[in-house]
Amino acid sequence: MNEAGAPRAGTAGAPRAGTAGRSEAERGRAILSLGILAFRWVSLAWMAVLALTAGPLRRPPLAAAAILLLAAWTAWLTLARPAPRWPLLAADLALAAGLNVLAGLVMPERTVGERPFFAAGYPVAAAVSWGAARGVRAGVVAGLALGLSLAAGLLANGVDLAAEDAPTLLDLAGGTLNFVLAGGAVGLVARLLERSALQLRQATEETIRARERAARLAERESLARQIHDSVLQALALVHKRGRELAAGGPVPPGQVAGLAEMAAGQERALRALVLRDPDDGPTGAASLRAGLEAVAGRGWGHLEVTVGATGPIWLPAHHVEELAAAVRQALDNVVEHAGASRVALFAEEDGGMVAVTIRDDGRGFTYDEAAFAAAGKIGLAKSIKGRVEQLGGRVRVTSRPGAGTEVELRVEDRRGPGNPKGVPRWIRRGPGNPKGVPR
Amino acid sequence: MEAEDRVRVMVVDDHPVWRDGVRADLEASGRIEVVAEAADGGDAIEVAREAMPELVLMDLNLPTVRGVEAIRRIVEESPHVRVLVLSASGEEADVLEAVKVGASGYLLKSSTAAELVDAVVRVRAGEPTFSPSLAALVLGEFRRMSGTTEPGLTARETEVLRLVAKGYSYREIADQLVISVKTVQNHVQNILTKLQLSKRYELMRYAIRRGLDRS
Repeated sequence: MNEAGAPRAGTAGAPRAGTAGRSEAERGRAILSLGILAFRWVSLAWMAVLALTAGPLRRPPLAAAAILLLAAWTAWLTLARPAPRWPLLAADLALAAGLNVLAGLVMPERTVGERPFFAAGYPVAAAVSWGAARGVRAGVVAGLALGLSLAAGLLANGVDLAAEDAPTLLDLAGGTLNFVLAGGAVGLVARLLERSALQLRQATEETIRARERAARLAERESLARQIHDSVLQALALVHKRGRELAAGGPVPPGQVAGLAEMAAGQERALRALVLRDPDDGPTGAASLRAGLEAVAGRGWGHLEVTVGATGPIWLPAHHVEELAAAVRQALDNVVEHAGASRVALFAEEDGGMVAVTIRDDGRGFTYDEAAFAAAGKIGLAKSIKGRVEQLGGRVRVTSRPGAGTEVELRVEDRRGPGNPKGVPRWIRRGPGNPKGVPR
Repeated sequence: MEAEDRVRVMVVDDHPVWRDGVRADLEASGRIEVVAEAADGGDAIEVAREAMPELVLMDLNLPTVRGVEAIRRIVEESPHVRVLVLSASGEEADVLEAVKVGASGYLLKSSTAAELVDAVVRVRAGEPTFSPSLAALVLGEFRRMSGTTEPGLTARETEVLRLVAKGYSYREIADQLVISVKTVQNHVQNILTKLQLSKRYELMRYAIRRGLDRS
């Protein structure tokens, strides 16, 4: 079996779930705000046309100033595209309300309701902006405020609301209703846009997660199948040889030893694979412990290799591969030179570093790098060093004649302290990446 | 060796063939006497009460009452009884839980007869048997708990635990740290006690949260 239980690197080419839904919502909002701007310009143009064609006005300079001010305001909104914060919304609403009142001042007395309204549709833009930026309730509130300003405009126009007949009051109510409906409806649309974008994002993320989970499960299943097959074969052989042994048949000791070794290998493989829950690590990360177990599970003849770790220890998959390869080389070295019977592999996270120790109970030696280099004996140690140093790590060898050898591989843990959830820094959650999806 | 000096052991496993094998291995050593057997967790609690073994050798994967729960109850009723876990899977969460509720060590079922006998004798003598992989797990557990109110490890205890995790024997650790083997054993025993204490705190906090302390 190869690299049992080592989770593969994350599915390449996964869509950027964190940004997909966000951009969808932003696109919707951008289209909405463009629409509102277009509405402002059309209303402004219509206002100018009405001012010039609908007959004489009471205060022409005031009307001209109002139109120029609105044109400047609309141009600034168009060019600067400021974020719809409260001060901006308040200013916009104040301008729109002021425009309603001003309409009453510039139109000839008691003509509101009889000739085209000076402000045209421009004030509606404020109610709509409130709705788009802050939702239904804000849209309705802005609409009501505009309705009040409309009433003030009527008063300014010399209309006596208390004495007025029903049609004028109905006009006022209708105008107010228009403002409220426009603000509320756009608020509703904005909220729906946002919600559907959120749902889209959640669905995309769920799909990615499900796909990753399925890939992991499939890999695990295929490994399990392989192992079950080899376990069955081993059991069949034990069964057959066991009967032969019981019958007193001649079984060469070498075969019995082979049988035990085979069973031991299957035992290790099964234990590493089946009896531990599949750890769900961050995408693109692999478990160092699983990597070491895979190395130990390859079977090292008479050498007993045990694995211990302070946890799954998630590292970038590439780091785990390199460390596992270095450990494999170190074990090759032990088999060849150390005359050891046991090797303990120990992986730990310690103060921002990850250390893997390969410790054998062999004959040991006096470690003197310079002397080895002079004797041309540095080959293997050099290649282990090369791998680890490529990851920015260090190798330390401690050995004394008769006391075994300890090789320590130390690399930087790319998760820093203060990151207790163990999410590697390179896929840290952030405001632009709320779910910690790697970019 | 006199009969009285033999370790009185109870074997708990749901496979009769396995129990027979373990009994044969233990008794062949002449240093151990199997005084009782049980086939499930519930049985184990009752039989331990009557047979009063010095040491219980048990699997964790048991019918009726699960192994960890059985260990907790056995140790609660007779604190002097030592428990040695003999597990096929070495499933780490289970083993760690077993140690937390009072087991003194664990061995894989594939350990040789000599290793098994050695472990039984050592555990009876009060020497916890930490395999390197269990030591690594315990170290990880303490690192995870650090910063909470749990009892933490001293620098020396951490050092000892790391050396056990690297596969050094108590003798070798004693040589390296220039202390006596007895001191190393004491450190390991203290680590175990702190781990069990942290479990008790955890249970207490749980009970308080659930309001069970008031009932």
